[in-house]
Amino acid sequence: MPDTVVSVSSPAAAPAAKRKGPRGKVVIYPNWCKGCHICVDFCPTEVLAFIPSQEYPLVQQPEKCTACHFCDTHCPDFAIIVRSIE
Amino acid sequence: MNEKREQNILDAATLTADEALIPQADWMERSGVLQKLRKNKKFPTIWCSGCGIGVVMGALIRAIDHLGLKSDDVALVAGIGCTARMPVYLDFNTLHTTHGRALAFATGLKIARPDMKVIAIMGDGDALAIGGNHFIHAARRNIGITALVVNNATYGMTGGQYSPTTPVGRRATTAPYGNVEPPFPVCDLAIAAGASYVARSTVYHALELDKFLAEAIAKDGFSLVEAVSYCHTTYGRLNKLGTAADMMRALKDNSIAKNAYDKLSDEQKASNSKIVRGNFVNKDRSEYTGIYQNLIANVRGD
Repeated sequence: MPDTVVSVSSPAAAPAAKRKGPRGKVVIYPNWCKGCHICVDFCPTEVLAFIPSQEYPLVQQPEKCTACHFCDTHCPDFAIIVRSIE
Repeated sequence: MNEKREQNILDAATLTADEALIPQADWMERSGVLQKLRKNKKFPTIWCSGCGIGVVMGALIRAIDHLGLKSDDVALVAGIGCTARMPVYLDFNTLHTTHGRALAFATGLKIARPDMKVIAIMGDGDALAIGGNHFIHAARRNIGITALVVNNATYGMTGGQYSPTTPVGRRATTAPYGNVEPPFPVCDLAIAAGASYVARSTVYHALELDKFLAEAIAKDGFSLVEAVSYCHTTYGRLNKLGTAADMMRALKDNSIAKNAYDKLSDEQKASNSKIVRGNFVNKDRSEYTGIYQNLIANVRGD
């Protein structure tokens, strides 16, 4: 199990994304995650996804993150952190 | 055992995915919340996967952090129950006491150290059933304690018995055909008893909870914040309310802001079954420890 799952919505990752507004970097710490999937259920832009082969969520579309900070304020185990990036 | 805990923390601090993106030192800075957690405790917490108490814990840390209080100036007092495990994970002065007596111990602490910010963390059963008398009398005296009541409508730790806040008709392990007792309106009880600050929010509205907690801790007199949470493991399973995410969504759908509630007609208010969120009371009354210090000064003839 990896210690951290990091994803960055960099311009290279999303060349076609001309979207303006804030963007975020999602970091998941699987050691602290219990797999309740509150973050997956509530993510408004479907950045996170549930895959059956692992307990913790997958950062599937990192470039869509708008840094709304729902997931890191509602994670009961502090296992997910969103950092706003320029 | 300690080595194992140490290892657990090191595991979280050791980064393999992309060290260039997140430097090692970043673990401490990765969130303001994590800096207030105890470094010698094993994480994740003992609560069930998805439990709302963790969200309340985050809100409490953010509120204390927002006020800029030093860790040594804050005392957390807790009784027994799921919610009362919260101070165990937090790096403040903490007191883990007997069932229902969190406010009794907190009263003694506040009288001995009036300069300290004393926060009593209780569950619904802890605050209203076993410690019900302490609750109303702390509010009556208006002693400067912040009572944080996490209301999940059941006794979660002991297996889902019905508590004083279980709604009528809901099932519990001790009410297999539905609960027949009307629940306590926690905020109304505190208002009637004379609390100076009363607010209610839910774990879905976590940032609102931050704001209310910060205001309550800053308030001089007795302040109550009711954080409506959920228990999906016992209460939710018996009542077929779904997963933790489903119950959190239900809190969003079944709550109404106080501003919107005030605009309703009397008929609509009477038939309202939603949780009203908001700040109900924010008034200034003379605080108990201040009155007591004045009394001592008068009797001594200072």
